[in-house]
Amino acid sequence: MNLMDIRNNIDRIDRQLLALLHQRMEYVLQADKHKTATQDREREAHILENVTSQASPLLDESFIVELYKFILVKSRKLQEKRWKLVGFSGEYSAWGELAVHAFGAGMVLIPCSDFRDVFARVANHDLEFGAVPVENSIEGSVTEVNDLLMGTDLKIVAETVIPIHHHLLVIPGTHHQEIKCVYSSPQALSQCREFLIRNKLEARPFYNAAGTARWLAHEQQRSAGVIASRLAAELYGLEIIKENIEDHPENATRFVLLSTQPETGPADKCTIVFSTPNRAGAIFDVLRVFAENGINLTRIESRPIRTNLGTFAFLLDFQGKPDDPAVSRALEDTKKKTILFKNLGFYREAPR
Amino acid sequence: MTNLRLVALAERERTVIQVGNVRFGAGFVVIGGPCSVESEEQMMETAIAVKVAGADMLRGGTFKPRTSPYAFQGLGLRGLKILAKVHEATGLPFVTEVLDTRDVSWVAEFADMIQIGARNMQNFSLLKEVGKLRKPVLLKRGMYSTLDEWLNCAEYIMSEGNPNVVLCERGIRSFETYTRNMLDLSAVPAAKEISHLPIIVDPTHGTGKVSLIEPMSLASVAAGSDGLIVEVHRNPSEALSDKDQALTPAQFSKLVRKVRALTKKMEEIE
Repeated sequence: MNLMDIRNNIDRIDRQLLALLHQRMEYVLQADKHKTATQDREREAHILENVTSQASPLLDESFIVELYKFILVKSRKLQEKRWKLVGFSGEYSAWGELAVHAFGAGMVLIPCSDFRDVFARVANHDLEFGAVPVENSIEGSVTEVNDLLMGTDLKIVAETVIPIHHHLLVIPGTHHQEIKCVYSSPQALSQCREFLIRNKLEARPFYNAAGTARWLAHEQQRSAGVIASRLAAELYGLEIIKENIEDHPENATRFVLLSTQPETGPADKCTIVFSTPNRAGAIFDVLRVFAENGINLTRIESRPIRTNLGTFAFLLDFQGKPDDPAVSRALEDTKKKTILFKNLGFYREAPR
Repeated sequence: MTNLRLVALAERERTVIQVGNVRFGAGFVVIGGPCSVESEEQMMETAIAVKVAGADMLRGGTFKPRTSPYAFQGLGLRGLKILAKVHEATGLPFVTEVLDTRDVSWVAEFADMIQIGARNMQNFSLLKEVGKLRKPVLLKRGMYSTLDEWLNCAEYIMSEGNPNVVLCERGIRSFETYTRNMLDLSAVPAAKEISHLPIIVDPTHGTGKVSLIEPMSLASVAAGSDGLIVEVHRNPSEALSDKDQALTPAQFSKLVRKVRALTKKMEEIE
């Protein structure tokens, strides 16, 4: 190993150290949601005891104690800021992160392992909010999220539409002829299918797109490209070799923001969930209520209830203000005509 | 002429080929730009000058066929990204050359029109590869080629399924040494007698001399050409390739003005 190799290793470890510290702070912020007071002396003593037990000649006890006292002070400072936490599915630079940016500043992002995890952690008050995709202009409904919406007690408090642009990312300096395989989420690969065929690139599915960018930056494989966002290229130091490789340039995804508390500000859109008795014209009866009150439906989704074959619940988005008498009338009428009824909340409609 | 099933005029209408908002074969098309893309700054500055001068389209090479292997070979894909950016900023569609069959699909992802250069006119595997696309192709005449050989190369592209071919006369080798090549302007009306494809003229390579570019450009209008492709550099003496034959933006601007005026006059005469 020459000096440059050694220094490269040190730089790599610094990046890892900071990434882990960042992750630690994410948990610190979540822990605060479950405590009555910010400082817990007993817990702090326990942490110090824990870490000093790992002292070694290179990292003696005083080094570790000093380091951790600093971390603990900074952690408390961070907790005192009372950040609002918002969960999204996937890793940093995932589309969910972009959606959170669109929902507004002043929130701290918390990556969650999947959609179910987002719902669970918001319901458990670890997080104030969760951002999840409900539909995509090319692929249609995100069924897993819609199923979770059917069963949740959480409220929708906002929505946003994010334009989706896929870029081909490579290790900087890679020659285009070197690229053989392209890794990404199954959704991203299918949305760029024509591009991959034209350029004779083999599609390799991966569980999520942002994860492939992190993986490529770590593996430094020149024969591979990944499809991910511009944010991912910036985050992981990858080069965008071709931007906007999606087959349909109008690709967009609608995200909703979930919370345990309903939105109380101005609103002009609402989402409800219901199921009807299994008889002729039952669903028609409900839809007629909206038609007769002059209410515009923007989406209707049916999902199996999973108790037995042929039973469905419906998810309905419509335009309407909570204080509009026609809206209240329609909701009251719907309640009477359905066997299950849930109002997921009023929120402000996103411009399209 | 031999077996030009798709290229021959026969009873067909003259073909109009659309590249972005530019139409070859319907009005006179002027293409200007540097021999090579050298940097984003150079390309952006030249593109703006070329647009202000009244050009319809941009040219710029990023894969360069150079006589010497030690000469500047072009920026490759990095140059394509620059061209795409310049296109977005100026709205000018661009034509750029491809040399290697392995690069064809990639160049097509970026470019509005693909050039097959004079040296590759009879590179049949390259012709077949661009023939599989629907992207318009600018097919330059080889420096040692007869009209028949050239049109057969257009036939190669079209027989693979790509009907969008524009021909480009750029001069042939002769015993004359004063000019770089001998610009064969008779090829313009001749090609139009035989084929329905649009044809443009490259007076830059056709003469290799700055002083001859304007007179030959005007002559090409009179000969019935559908357009011109001219090399322009913001500072020709600093160009990384073809520095002796590039026009300055001011010279190009004057040329476009005269060409437009003559085109109008020609319409009046007809």
